Amino acid sequence: KKMTNDNLNKLLVFCVLFCAQKTSIVHGAQALETKVALLLHAEPENPKCFAEGMSDLTCFWEEDEERAGSADQYSFIYTYQNENSSECSITALPAAGGKRLYFCRLSQTQLFVPLDIRVFRDDLLIHNRSLFIEAVFLLDPPANLTLTSTGMQGQLKASWLPPSLKYMGDSMMYEVSYAMAGSHIGKVEEVQASSELILRGLQSGTKYKVRIRVKLDGISYSGYWSAWTDPVLMETMPGDLDPLIVSLSLIISLVLTLLSLLVLMSHRRFLLKKIWPIIPTPESKFQGLFKVYGGDFQEWLGHSTGGLWLRPTYFYSEEFPVPLEVLSEVSLGPALPSSALPPKASEALGEEEDEDKKLKRVDPALMEGWRKTPQEHWTMDQLRAIHQHPAPWTQSSLLESHDAYVTLNAQNHSVEEPLDDILEETLPLQVLFASGRTSSESRSDLGSVQQSSGSGRLSSQSSFEYPNHTWPSKGPGYTYMAVADSGVSMDYSPMSSNKIDDIGKGVIYTNEYKNEIPAHRRPIGTPIHFAF
Amino acid sequence: LFSGTGPVVVLLTVLQWAGRGLPSPVRPICDPRVLDRFIMEARDTETALRGCKAGCGVTGTFVVPLTNVDFVVWETKDTEEQALEVQSGMSLFGQALGAVRESVSRVAVQILIDNNKSNIHSLGQVLRSLHIQDLPLPPAPAVGDLVTRKVSSLSELLHVHTNFLRGKVRLLLTNAPACQQNST
Repeated sequence: KKMTNDNLNKLLVFCVLFCAQKTSIVHGAQALETKVALLLHAEPENPKCFAEGMSDLTCFWEEDEERAGSADQYSFIYTYQNENSSECSITALPAAGGKRLYFCRLSQTQLFVPLDIRVFRDDLLIHNRSLFIEAVFLLDPPANLTLTSTGMQGQLKASWLPPSLKYMGDSMMYEVSYAMAGSHIGKVEEVQASSELILRGLQSGTKYKVRIRVKLDGISYSGYWSAWTDPVLMETMPGDLDPLIVSLSLIISLVLTLLSLLVLMSHRRFLLKKIWPIIPTPESKFQGLFKVYGGDFQEWLGHSTGGLWLRPTYFYSEEFPVPLEVLSEVSLGPALPSSALPPKASEALGEEEDEDKKLKRVDPALMEGWRKTPQEHWTMDQLRAIHQHPAPWTQSSLLESHDAYVTLNAQNHSVEEPLDDILEETLPLQVLFASGRTSSESRSDLGSVQQSSGSGRLSSQSSFEYPNHTWPSKGPGYTYMAVADSGVSMDYSPMSSNKIDDIGKGVIYTNEYKNEIPAHRRPIGTPIHFAF
Repeated sequence: LFSGTGPVVVLLTVLQWAGRGLPSPVRPICDPRVLDRFIMEARDTETALRGCKAGCGVTGTFVVPLTNVDFVVWETKDTEEQALEVQSGMSLFGQALGAVRESVSRVAVQILIDNNKSNIHSLGQVLRSLHIQDLPLPPAPAVGDLVTRKVSSLSELLHVHTNFLRGKVRLLLTNAPACQQNST
C-alpha cells in the first residue's frame, strides 16, 4: 500500500510538473515562433542567431523541405577567439510554407569577444559567420503594460515592467506606439532606460491603443527590436471646457446680441415694412365704397352724397382741405347796379334764390365741395392752363385758363348800411365754376351760401356762360380770388377788378374762412397740407 | 643655472606627489553615460583608423588583456578581483597606446590616440571615486599570461580596447557597491 501511495504521489507530482511545464513550453514555443519570424525578416546573414538572456545563444537556419536533410547531416562548429572550437547539437523543426528549421542552442556564452560559427552539411561548409553575442540581443517584449490617467487633460501614463536582465537595465531603449482606437495612423515615442512614459497631446474623451517594444541601445549591448506587446486600450479624460474660453465666448455672444438688437431697434420700421409690408388699400380714398357699397363702384358713384364733392381724391393724394382765406375786402361804392349784371347773371341770381334753401342744406357739403371740386375739375384744366399761360395772373389770363374763382360779393339788399358796415364778416361768397368738363351738368351747379347774419348772397357763375371770356364787371365791390390748382397746392390770389380805384379809400381787411374738416374724414396719420 | 632650475624642480616634484596623493573624489561617479562616452570615442577611433594604410605606420606587438566575459564566471568573482582585472587591463592599454603614440607620424592619428589615452586616465579617476583602490605602481604581475594576449596591429589593438571597455569595465562600474547604494 505504501508503495502504491508513493508511486501515486510521484505520478501526481510528475503530472503537475508536466502540466506546468507544458504551459510554459507552449508559451515558450509561441515566443520562439515570433522571434524566428522576426529574425527571418530582420537578419540577412545565416545562421541567424540571437541571445535572450545573459548566458544563452540560439542560432537557426532555414531550408526547403525538398532539399532538407536530417539533423545529423549538419554540424554546427563555433569558436571563441583564442580558444578551441566546439560543436553544438542541432535539432530540426518543421515550419510553415514547406520549410524546415534547424536550431542550435548554447547555454554558456562569452560576451565581448568575437565568435566564429561554421555550419557544415556532410562536411560541406554552408554557412559562415562571425559575431559578438552582446550585439544580437532579441529580448522578450516588456510585460505588464498598463495605462493610467495622470489627472490632466489629454494625457495618459504608460508603465511597464522592463525585461529582467542584469547589468542591462540602463542600456534598454523602448518604443511606445499609440493611436486612437480604430485608427491605423499612430505616433511613436522613444524613451531610454525608463519604465514609464507620459503621453501628451491626446484628444479628450477618446480611446487610445498603446503598445511597446524594447531594444538595447547599442553602446555596450545591441540587438534587434523585440515584438510588440499586445495593445492596451484606455480612454482619456473627458473634455473639460476651458473656463476662460467659455467666459470669453459668452461675453462675445452677449456683445453681438446687444449690437444686433440695437440695429434691429433702430431700423424696426424699415424692417417691418420689408418683412410685413402694409398692403395698401384704397379704402381711404373711396369713402364708403367698401363698407357701404361692398365694392360696387358704379353704385358708389351714383349714390355718393354731394356727388361732386365726394369724388375720388386720387388727384390730390396728399392734398387735403385748405382753409379759405379772405385776403382782402374792398369797400363798396354805391349800390351795385344790378343792371350791370348781364342778363344771364341775373338769371343765375334768380336761380340762386330758388336754390337757396337747397343750398343751405348743402352748406357744409358745399364747403366740402369747394375744397374738393375745384381740384377734381381743375387738375386737367389747370395743368393745361399753366402750360398754356405761364404768364402772371391777370384777369384775362385767368379767365382763359378756366380757373375757378371765388369772389366775395357784398350784396346787401335788405339793409341799407353805410359802407363801413358792410365790411363785416357777413360777406357772401360768390363762386364761379369753371367747368372744363361737361360730363355732368351737376357740376355746374351753382351754389350760394347765405350768411347767417346778413342777407348776403352767394352767387355763382360758370365761366362758360361767358364764352368770350369777358369778365362781368360787377363793380368795384368785387374782389376776385383766383384759385389755381396746380395739382399740389391751391393758390388763392386776390384779384381786384379794374374799377376798384378807390381801393385806397376803403379798408381792406381779410377774413379767414376756415373750413373745419370733420375729424373722421381725415385719414389718420396723414399730414394736412395747407396750400396758399 | 643649477640654482635657477632647482626651485622649479622642487616645485614640480611637490606637485607630482600632491597629484598622486590626491584623495579620491568624495562623490562616486555612477552615471553610466560617462563610460558610454569613452566607449563611443574608442569606437570612433577604431572606425577612423580601420582604413589606415599599412597600419598607420605602427609596427610591433602589444600586450592586451582578454576581453571575454562569462557572466556566470564573472559573478562568482568579488569586486576586488574584478577591479584587479579591470585595472591591470587598463594599464596594459595605456602602455600600448603610449608606444603607438610614439611611432605614429600623422597628426590626426596622434590626436585620436591622445584622446583615448586621456580617457583611460579619466577612467582611473572614476574607479577611484568608487573607492576602488589603485594598483600598486609596479606593472601587472606575471599572472597576466592567462589574461593577456598579443596583437600586432593598431586596428586590432583599438578593437580590443573597445571590447574591454564595453565588457569588463562597464560591468565593474555598473555593479560597483558605491553605485548600488545610490541607485536604490
